[in-house]
Amino acid sequence: MSNSPLFGILLSLIAFEIGVALHKKWRYSLVNPLLIANVLIIGFLCVTGTSYDTYKVGGDYISFFLGPVTVVLAVPLYKQLQNLLKYWFSILMGIFVGSLTSIFCVIGCSKILGLSNTLMLSILPKSITIPMGSVVSEQIGGIPSVTIIAITVTGITGAVTAPIVCRFFRIKNPVAQGVATGTASHALGTSRALEMGETQGAMSSLSIGIAGVFTAIVAPIILNVIA
Amino acid sequence: MRILLQLALIIGISLIGEILHRYAGVPIPGNILGMLILLLLLCVKVVKLDHIKEVSDFFLKNIAFFFLPPSIGIMAAGEEVMCRWPVLLIMCIALTIVTMTATGWTVQLLAKGTKHKARGVKTEGAKNEQ
Repeated sequence: MSNSPLFGILLSLIAFEIGVALHKKWRYSLVNPLLIANVLIIGFLCVTGTSYDTYKVGGDYISFFLGPVTVVLAVPLYKQLQNLLKYWFSILMGIFVGSLTSIFCVIGCSKILGLSNTLMLSILPKSITIPMGSVVSEQIGGIPSVTIIAITVTGITGAVTAPIVCRFFRIKNPVAQGVATGTASHALGTSRALEMGETQGAMSSLSIGIAGVFTAIVAPIILNVIA
Repeated sequence: MRILLQLALIIGISLIGEILHRYAGVPIPGNILGMLILLLLLCVKVVKLDHIKEVSDFFLKNIAFFFLPPSIGIMAAGEEVMCRWPVLLIMCIALTIVTMTATGWTVQLLAKGTKHKARGVKTEGAKNEQ
């Protein structure tokens, strides 16, 4: 069994479906399918004494699709593009300022807290969508698996706190609420933004792609300048 | 379009992105270049949403699944992650709120100059396409 990719693929499918079922049942952002499946798989591998490499044989077949999956992100971005027109300047500026804030805060906090360089680079792209964040992480020298977990935690935080943050910091403009949620917490935050309103949802989902591309271009440049 | 043909189109665009990144030295990750290429093709209407509907719907609906295997790699991530995960967790949570606030304030401040209310915003641009 240890050499068959079927094992890893089947385990992934079952774990993820359990995660989806639990998420459907409770409908709460904290019950995230990816995190549940993560706990289940790691738990299963530990309990049965199966190595990560055995799982990875099958897992790699699934990871292969990351490239095409990212390409397809052009579809939601294209659908939202017309919403950019009216407020393009404030939206783009908001996304730029937000993405830069995220990047510089990660660098600053990591230095203060004494995190290693690798770890800092791994969480640097934490606010952008997973397919983009994981390749950015790889490109700048981070560990993609850490990035993916950081991105998921960030997304869940956004989904749980978006309405509270907007109220507390007096972000009242619906466009601003949407762009803030999407830029800070990608697709998971967008799921919550959609509940806040149509405008918020549209703006949030527009921001995911733009923030991702911006971070992918700017992060390596900033790192070069600092280093 | 047939599903296999849709898949061929999307994988073909991925491949072009990879080639541009690896061999032409464009400093943006290949799959993001691929996304930009598809976006461009959609904008100039060479590719229509209908052309890739089934495959793009499938990928987008199940997107999180494809990240499951790479995220399990955390098992092999090493000691520092295991020791410092509380710090990382708090950082991720706190910085999400900081980023959200910075973004929201910027948009709100700049949008004040614009008179219009955000009523014209549509949830799904796709409606106009069909």
